[in-house]
Amino acid sequence: MPDNEINVGGTLIWYYYVCKREVWLMGRQITADQDDTNVILGRFFAEQSYGREKKEIAFGHMKFDVVRKDRHGLVVAEVKKSSKHIKSAKMQLAFYLWELSQKGIKARGELLFPKEKRRELVELTDELIDNLLEAKRDILRIIYDSIPPEAEKKQICRNCAYAEFCWS
Amino acid sequence: MKKTIYIFNDGQLKRKGNTLYFESEEQKKYLPVEDVGELMVFGEVSLNKKFLEFASQKEIIIHYFSYYGYYMGSFYPREHLNSGHMILKQAEHYLDEEERIRIARQFVSGAARNIRQVLRYYNNRVGGISETLNRVDEVIMSLDDCHDISRLMAAEGNIRDRYYRVFDIITRNPDFPFEERSRRPPRNHLNTLISFGNSLMYTIVLSEIYRTHLDPRIGYLHATNFRRFSLNLDLAEIFKPIIVDRVIFSVLGKKMITVNDFEEEGEGIMMKDRARKTFVQELDAKLKTTIKHKGIGRPVSYRRIIRLELYKLEKHLIGEKFYEPFIAQW
Ligand code: SF4
Repeated sequence: MPDNEINVGGTLIWYYYVCKREVWLMGRQITADQDDTNVILGRFFAEQSYGREKKEIAFGHMKFDVVRKDRHGLVVAEVKKSSKHIKSAKMQLAFYLWELSQKGIKARGELLFPKEKRRELVELTDELIDNLLEAKRDILRIIYDSIPPEAEKKQICRNCAYAEFCWS
Repeated sequence: MKKTIYIFNDGQLKRKGNTLYFESEEQKKYLPVEDVGELMVFGEVSLNKKFLEFASQKEIIIHYFSYYGYYMGSFYPREHLNSGHMILKQAEHYLDEEERIRIARQFVSGAARNIRQVLRYYNNRVGGISETLNRVDEVIMSLDDCHDISRLMAAEGNIRDRYYRVFDIITRNPDFPFEERSRRPPRNHLNTLISFGNSLMYTIVLSEIYRTHLDPRIGYLHATNFRRFSLNLDLAEIFKPIIVDRVIFSVLGKKMITVNDFEEEGEGIMMKDRARKTFVQELDAKLKTTIKHKGIGRPVSYRRIIRLELYKLEKHLIGEKFYEPFIAQW
């Protein structure tokens, strides 16, 4: 790996909890198949939602869907289409909360799944912070490894844009 | 899957709003840009910079063929997928002679073993090929002992020679004798078909390379010359027997193309447009045919098999898995 600084951001945290192999591939800029139907759909919906001027609030490189204040302080919320990758979403949000806390901003998080009428609270506990730091270290370890973690066939491979790369 | 658009007529290519537009004396045609993967231009076509910018932005490759049907060159838009890691690995494997041979040998072996499958099929059907099959097998066995590129090339040439010599047995069409391999210009009808099919294959593989992180200028069997594409020539070797040659046998077998579809041109023989159209239609159909793929777990088209082959090469280059070429099952 070239020795320029690797910035472990929210995206890699997300992938870390989805598939570790994906972390390595993303880290090496071996991007997924651009013709993949899911990638095309994703791009389409991204363009669509910009069209509707989604209210996003940006903090540095972080973007949140909703930010509000209640009597306990600041709440940042993320709206998700489904809770399929809830673990990833939770850790990604926790990562942002941690980054905010590094800047002296204390906040709590909320994951919203409007389609499922479901809400998940994320609070930055010491345990969560430990997990995050551990994940960050592990992500660096993965990326610095000279070969990617072996592909393991799991449910999500079916909708993964790397599938043809992994299983060819 | 995006489409390959073949343009045989003379005319103009333009950008009209968000579509590609082709205008000729006979027709006006809109081509939705999102559906187009590549353009193959045979006719006398003019286009402007605005059109090229649009094609580039939409990542559409344009391949040009001369009046005689030879491949001339490609408009290869700026690389859109870039991985420094992959490029380094690709170059590293080229510079290391051992590594280069290892990959080149797989290409030759893949080509040879696919030739063998074609021969086996026809030996079962028409017979008279078993002698050649044995010789091809012997050469395949000897590939492991080839430790430099020139010997590898010689082995491949040897196989190809023997292979072409039984084309007359396979086609059983006295109008299309093989005689000998002639290229520029091809001096008989069969050679014209082979050259035409091969050049299409080179461009198709090139288009697939464009959709990966590989650099088409770094080949292993065909020496890298940074001004020209060579990786596509390498990969095409594997697919020529099972895609191009089978299309040739099929169009000749069904008499879809006959000697009347050719004309003499100077030193050589060239195909008329009607024959070219028939050929690309059959080739397109072939590329769309699907076969079952164990790893992927669903049927994939031959066109996709070419892409998967590139992924396998990528995995070899990053050190994950030794590259083994695709061998047709029949
Ligand atoms: S296909 Fe499966 S193993 Fe490969 S990157 Fe995607 S999720 Fe990971």
